[in-house]
Amino acid sequence: MVAGAWFCLLAPLAGALAITLAGERISRRQAGLVSTLTTFAAFGGALVAFVAMWAREGAEREQLSTAYTWLAAGDFEVGLQILVDPLSAVMMLVVSGVGGLIVWYSLGYMAGDDEERRYFAYMSLFVFSMLLLVEAGNLLLLLVGWGLVGLASYLLIGFWHHRPEAVAAAKKAFVMNAIGDATFALGLVLLVWQARTLELPAVLEEADGLSGTIVTLVALGLLGGALAKSAQLPLHTWLPDAMEGPTPVSALIHAATMVTAGVYLLVRAHPIFEAAPDVQHLAAGLGAATLLLAGLVALVQWDIKRVIAYSTMSQIGYMFLAAGIGAYGFAIFHLVTHAFFKALLFLAAGVVIHHLAGEQDIRRMGGLRAALPRTHVAFLVGTAALVGLPPLAGFWSKDAILASALASGGALGWTLFSAGLLGALLTGAYAFRLYYAVFHGAPPEVSPEPHGPEAAHEPAHGEGPLSMLVPVGALTVLSTLGGLLSVPGVWHPFTHWVSETAEALVEPSTGEDYLTSLVAVTLGLAGLWLARRAFASGRQLVTSPVAWRALEHKLYFDELYDALFYRPAAALAGALRREVEEPVVERSLDELGAGTLELGGGVARVQSGLLRTYALAVALAVFVLVLVFVAVR
Amino acid sequence: MLTTALIVLPVAGALLVAALPLTRVGSAGLAFLVALLEVGLWVVAAARFDFDAGGLQLGTTREWVESLGISYAVGFYGFSLWLAGAAVIVFAAAIGYALWAGRDRPRAYHALMLFLTGAVVATFAAQDVLLFYVAFEAMLIPLYVLVGVWGGERRLVATLTFVVYTMAGSLLMLAAVVAFGVTQGTFSLAGSGTSDNTWIFLGFAVAFAIKAPLFPFHGWLPLAYRQAPVEVAAVLSAIVSKTAIYGFLRIALPKFPEPADELSVVILLLAGAGLVYGSLLAFRAPDLRGIVAYSSLAQMGLITLGVFAVDDLGLDGAVLQSVNHALVSASLFLLVGMVERRCGTGDLAALGGMARGRPVLATVLLVAGMIALAVPGSTTFAGEFLIMAGVYGQGWGYAAIVAVGIVLAAMYTLRLISAVLHVRPGPAVREETLDLRPGELALVLPLVVCLLGLSAWPALVSQSSFPGNDPVRALAEELG
Repeated sequence: MVAGAWFCLLAPLAGALAITLAGERISRRQAGLVSTLTTFAAFGGALVAFVAMWAREGAEREQLSTAYTWLAAGDFEVGLQILVDPLSAVMMLVVSGVGGLIVWYSLGYMAGDDEERRYFAYMSLFVFSMLLLVEAGNLLLLLVGWGLVGLASYLLIGFWHHRPEAVAAAKKAFVMNAIGDATFALGLVLLVWQARTLELPAVLEEADGLSGTIVTLVALGLLGGALAKSAQLPLHTWLPDAMEGPTPVSALIHAATMVTAGVYLLVRAHPIFEAAPDVQHLAAGLGAATLLLAGLVALVQWDIKRVIAYSTMSQIGYMFLAAGIGAYGFAIFHLVTHAFFKALLFLAAGVVIHHLAGEQDIRRMGGLRAALPRTHVAFLVGTAALVGLPPLAGFWSKDAILASALASGGALGWTLFSAGLLGALLTGAYAFRLYYAVFHGAPPEVSPEPHGPEAAHEPAHGEGPLSMLVPVGALTVLSTLGGLLSVPGVWHPFTHWVSETAEALVEPSTGEDYLTSLVAVTLGLAGLWLARRAFASGRQLVTSPVAWRALEHKLYFDELYDALFYRPAAALAGALRREVEEPVVERSLDELGAGTLELGGGVARVQSGLLRTYALAVALAVFVLVLVFVAVR
Repeated sequence: MLTTALIVLPVAGALLVAALPLTRVGSAGLAFLVALLEVGLWVVAAARFDFDAGGLQLGTTREWVESLGISYAVGFYGFSLWLAGAAVIVFAAAIGYALWAGRDRPRAYHALMLFLTGAVVATFAAQDVLLFYVAFEAMLIPLYVLVGVWGGERRLVATLTFVVYTMAGSLLMLAAVVAFGVTQGTFSLAGSGTSDNTWIFLGFAVAFAIKAPLFPFHGWLPLAYRQAPVEVAAVLSAIVSKTAIYGFLRIALPKFPEPADELSVVILLLAGAGLVYGSLLAFRAPDLRGIVAYSSLAQMGLITLGVFAVDDLGLDGAVLQSVNHALVSASLFLLVGMVERRCGTGDLAALGGMARGRPVLATVLLVAGMIALAVPGSTTFAGEFLIMAGVYGQGWGYAAIVAVGIVLAAMYTLRLISAVLHVRPGPAVREETLDLRPGELALVLPLVVCLLGLSAWPALVSQSSFPGNDPVRALAEELG
């Protein structure tokens, strides 16, 4: 079990190293193959670990394995260690499985790009980092994985680094995540002082014994990290811009895996959040707010990838909501099904973008049903799964979250429940708006100059090579059947498995489940109907110009943060340079130096200047010495 | 004897380089050879060092001026051995860079660099305050000349500013050394006890604050780092600054426990202010050297926070971070020098787009930059986390300042990386501008490999810096 997990972790690292060190000695295609094969090898390792765990019982399923002491100071030690338990096993399978499919897809998608080797090295680095995050046996190592996925994300968002937009987006993502990393680290510092260890699960058992204030601060620190990584309010502004990266990157990092790491953290560290219920509820509330905000903004986006990006924010909002009310199993369940159908949507969108030579604006798309029949089916399945229509994957997982909100009751439960239902309506509307705009209607006149980061691509007629079709097909199947792992009133193998690590706080009754499904599906279909009606009549879903403008500006968060943080910091730094550093610190001695130089005169300036200073210095020294002796006596 | 050999070898090398009538390449090559031998000698010393045992090791003591209690006493503790190790490695890279870049009057230049190496090692090894003072001062003379003669356009002003600042510090320290020796009856660090005299403590502390430099004693830094030859700037920020940290760890803290405790708030506040101030200025600096220079100011503030946390985690973190910063800062300065040589300028507005077609430069700069901004998993991250955790004991505000520093470091480092590598090529970057040559790579790569190795196992340094891995007790009992 442990060996499988170690193999799973190290295989992608070996892949990244091999590609980097081989350089131009291997062909681009070989680099892609190395990356794909090592990722699938990791999936093999994860399977071995999973099957071995399956055969065990109870406490046997949880094992901590330490390679060596990574960091030590005083009596504080942090090992390079992994924790293999039901939760990390699920995450390993998802990360390496979906990761393998997407890296495989990249073989076809990135073919012909100048720097494929760099791309595949980064992808392997990402898969390794993400596996480190989910397997980490202590919170500091978790933070290491946390930071390294951020690094890989930075590298891949800015992959086309000749584009100013891509570089700016990459920097924005890194800095936003650095804020999260910093609060995460502060939380860990508090834990170090309280518990003197960060080892899982021992450190979590300390949570009960901590004072209310301390545990609240720790939980806030962790939540800050989770909000930044998962692009939730108020640290969400980097994700839409991150779509500057290649489309498979958006699928893997900014949809299926990395951005859901915040949910993983909330579930992994649930004893800390349970000891600080206010913070846990805050997470749920922010999730609900994000799912609504992102759903609204998605209604007015024109970029195919940005619509899907906002839907990702919105769906992660559901997961935060679930984790915040203690429905841990369903949060992870939705994480898994979302990984399937959101990766599917992005990869299908990638086929569309390729077909149109890099075009991403949905106003220049339409009627692609005929040209891309298989992609059309895949995209439709992804869209329906996203909206939560039965029997597709999203239906089972999303409705379970809503039913849990209903079951948790109280003012909070009802508010969250209502927000989630409203979100279902919005999802139906924006998801089918996108679907109709891309696949129905009349094909637009061929755009002469495609815009967007991938505009350099040659138009690829047809649906791409086998390496792209097979992953899309596999994800279509998973998006269709993946939800059957938990059927209300029938069986719950998935949530039961996760509950061994994180016991749920709420359990909806079968009645609540069916009631919720009825309402949520109706609302999703209503959204579909709205989108269809608007499409048929050629109108937009948002008709008020004021609302349109506000949503187009993403409710002015970028402008607000610019005015609140960036500009004051830049102004302060500029002022310090102009008002303090240059006149006071630098120039004061400039003049003294110049004066001494003049005294020296001629070619011998340096020497005489030095000598005079020395003479002055010696005189001063004697003076100070006398003073000191007087003082000491 | 090994410690003495580590001091004597570069000094003898300096005399040899100055005396032998070798060609330009010959004298530079000889100097590089001596610097490499010095690294080898340090490896032997580290192999003989018993990190578990504790106490002063590899020591030599000879009476010097018996009547005054002055002795030639040298030797290493764990932390000073690591600092010396970082020093000899950085000096080898710097001297190699000078060989590659080709400096005028190479005999004088390389003799001075080797002499400087010896003086730095002597400073880290000194176990007598007067010897420490002599070594500390001996570093300055070659530095004055190296900046003043081989520096850029405004080298004279830079040198004079540097002289005035460091002389002021030296005078205070001389007074403090004499007062300490007289009151203790001996200058030996091992033989003397502790002192509760605030003024003597301040004399040492201010001298170290200028040398590090700490905010607001850094007036000499921007000019010196910009005007010095780039490898001298590397040595200044990477190594010379660490002699101040050694001074804090070996003298200011253990010998003056009470004054250090009383004044630690002031020092912590200044260090925290310097961390934020340096980071902000690095974020707005218009040139490559400005960014690296002010980031060094910030890093010295961070390390000082760790030292004056006077906590196991803070002290171990400070030593680890000192070694890290030495390697990071040297790598960055040398890379800056390589970019400046190609483009004729370090002006950010004139650079850009160098990643395309120059994969080696892009990769090395990216790796060094990511370690500089303390990406989680790097050894700098490990050091920063320990310091953050350690200084929390002095007040949560200090830990919060370190957290702010993490975000600002990301901002200014990414700015540097992008300004060199990304978007369109700037006016100073031509199509035929070269990638890193194998010779240049051979100089930077060892530093980066050391950093990656430490990232895989930062405990190597952090757990062996103080005897028994118990820094606070070691400061109070063994060093005090």
